[in-house]
Amino acid sequence: MYYIHSIASISHQDSFRNDNVYESLTPITEESELITPNYKEFIPPTTLRRLSPVLRIGLAASIECKNEIQKEFDAIIVGTALGCLKDTEKFLTTILTTTSSVLSPTAFIQSTHNTIGGQISLGLKNHAYNMTHTQNSLSFEVSLLDAIMCIEEGKKNVLVGAADEKIDFLKTVQPGLVSNDYPLSSGGSFFSLSKEKNNSGIAIKALYSSFNPKELDNEIKSFLKGEGLELKEIDLILHSNSHKITEIEDIQCLDYLKYTGVHYSASAFAVHIAHDYLEAKNKKYSIVVNDMCKGSLGLILVAKYEA
Amino acid sequence: MKVYVTGYGVISSIGVGEKESLRALKDGVSGIKRGSNNTTKDYNVGAIELTDNELIEKFELNTHGSRTALLGMIAVKQAFRGHQINEKIRTGLISGTSVGGMDISEVEYKKYLENDGHDPSRYKHHSSGATTREIAAEIGVTDFINTISTACSSAANAIMMGARMIRNGMIDRIIVGGTDALTSFTISGFRSLMILDEDWCRPFDETRKGLNLGEGAGYLVLESDRSLAVSGKEPVAELSGWSNASDAFHQTASSPEGHGAKISMMEALKVAGIAPSDIDYINAHGTATPNNDLSESQAIKSIFKDSIPPFSSTKSYTGHTLAASGGIEAVFAILALRNGLLYPNLNFENAIKETGLVPQTKFEDSLNIKHVLSNSFGFGGNNSSIILSAI
Amino acid sequence: MSDLKEKLKAQIIKQLNLEDMNPEDIKDDAPLFGDGLGLDSIDALEFIVLLEQHYDIKIADPSEGKEVFQSVNSLAAYIEKNS
Repeated sequence: MYYIHSIASISHQDSFRNDNVYESLTPITEESELITPNYKEFIPPTTLRRLSPVLRIGLAASIECKNEIQKEFDAIIVGTALGCLKDTEKFLTTILTTTSSVLSPTAFIQSTHNTIGGQISLGLKNHAYNMTHTQNSLSFEVSLLDAIMCIEEGKKNVLVGAADEKIDFLKTVQPGLVSNDYPLSSGGSFFSLSKEKNNSGIAIKALYSSFNPKELDNEIKSFLKGEGLELKEIDLILHSNSHKITEIEDIQCLDYLKYTGVHYSASAFAVHIAHDYLEAKNKKYSIVVNDMCKGSLGLILVAKYEA
Repeated sequence: MKVYVTGYGVISSIGVGEKESLRALKDGVSGIKRGSNNTTKDYNVGAIELTDNELIEKFELNTHGSRTALLGMIAVKQAFRGHQINEKIRTGLISGTSVGGMDISEVEYKKYLENDGHDPSRYKHHSSGATTREIAAEIGVTDFINTISTACSSAANAIMMGARMIRNGMIDRIIVGGTDALTSFTISGFRSLMILDEDWCRPFDETRKGLNLGEGAGYLVLESDRSLAVSGKEPVAELSGWSNASDAFHQTASSPEGHGAKISMMEALKVAGIAPSDIDYINAHGTATPNNDLSESQAIKSIFKDSIPPFSSTKSYTGHTLAASGGIEAVFAILALRNGLLYPNLNFENAIKETGLVPQTKFEDSLNIKHVLSNSFGFGGNNSSIILSAI
Repeated sequence: MSDLKEKLKAQIIKQLNLEDMNPEDIKDDAPLFGDGLGLDSIDALEFIVLLEQHYDIKIADPSEGKEVFQSVNSLAAYIEKNS
């Protein structure tokens, strides 16, 4: 059991500092903008000026998570599939079109995938373990796996999250994402995890990733069986659109991509929705089914325990 | 629980595999020279002198992908030689890369900008995750696939994560390391930082000016006891220590006193359960930038004090292979353990004034090398250290 | 010279992404690095790009830049000298 002690999400939903994102979910449209906090509250101007959307999301959300628990993180783990796309595009365009013999370095420096994690460690003045996992649609799931290992190894408070940003050109680079029913988007969610139980008692109970998944229903059943559970005991299934779970029975289902929009880190926000749902409705179990990409499957079981 | 190394593979500008690499290391033959194609012709680089098609043909690769993926496949295949995918052994792959498929993307994006035969399907190779998938497909690994992208510490971090997954009982056998190809993107990037040396780089030298970029791939196969019992492979080394820490000083520069580096080395020693005095050789990160070499030297001094073990950077052989460096240098570390070797720090003449540290300058063999410490430090203050030990 | 300084301030703001600043906010003699505007080593490289792109002045070694980039005054003086 890995208890969620704080969460911060910046998304196209009104999610930042919202105690119940589940209640206020609104379907995303092409026109939906990111709903961002006042970044100046978190990030000094000399840093903020350089930061692209995904960097702002990662840094502000992490600072918020830390402020809520008032403790130092013993590990900082970030998932991102495509990293800092804006800076990558900017630098690439510059080098392919410039005639100048000198090049502006800022976009290059910001373009490495672990800039998010690096900025978080700088912003929090944190010297602990700092990792960036970039396994496409399972970036968040692998980051969670790493976070779980950290906690099992004795680390007390672990920051884990995932973020991705869109650029217009992404439609050309990843046409597979565009074939979803929902628009491309940006967003990030960060969590503080700990073995120590807290008042809300909501935890990540189990995690499963498959890089060669079998039939979806069987994968889900088998995963739950491993936790001594049956599908009918699940209160809310959060799934990602591309495949349908056929044997839903009477279980409440929610297509989370409808609210996150399409980006590879969306399952992180789905966990946020699950958390708020269990807390507000006083329910027991929610499962996040991340099968947004064929050939990859992530299953996250979120549970509420009595305090 | 011990973590065993039962395979290793490497490709770099000094050669493919153990024999070629050892010969170059022994003879002091660097792979760094003036680049020979449009991307590299204005720079001294450690390039592998084969085109993508030549790599595919020579190494009989079935899966096609970006150059980064191809280099990865070659090294992984080498490492996995004699192993088999077996239902009883959960087998994974963790690969570090910073470039991913950018070698293809930058060519394609240029066509897009010039409106000249742009083929968007080529971007399927772009992401770092896709690179690892392509490598996994080549050898048939499906149980666990992950990509770590922390710039120059990526491969070392992949190695560390693999070890931890074995210790935590999440995998039995795992191929770990990293790969990066030379690209315009990275060459231009390092040029914009003004940390490239127009000549041959001089790690740990007072007059060092910067790095030479390189390309390549290096991987290890790690196994648990349980896996060994099934695979029947002989361990060639033990991965005994690992650590990652954040410098938290600046996005690209290391702290002058090497704070993050000090933490990562100390922690790795702690994990290995050995003292600084047990280290027989340090394969330094040693990029030859004014900043890194001073910072790393200060960190080494603060830990090893008056008993600094022989140390060298092999980057004046291979160039700085970015995400692959931790993997390539882990292989060199194993070769040092197996053959009792110390590698020279090529192109060194004068010690850094502030530290006075003199690296190993001669190739030596037939020594008793039991523990090797290898450092890999990436942008974002990401500091990683691993320790490999003799069986 | 004062035209140059005003132009420089606008160029600095643009090159370094100092989004919330106006040229009036940068004093001619204010230290740009360290405690002043709080610029860092990446900004020093951006200055080198600025000098080449706008004034055709090349600085080959980043460490040369320290003296030159101390303030708008020192920058302007350097540009006048090397134009």
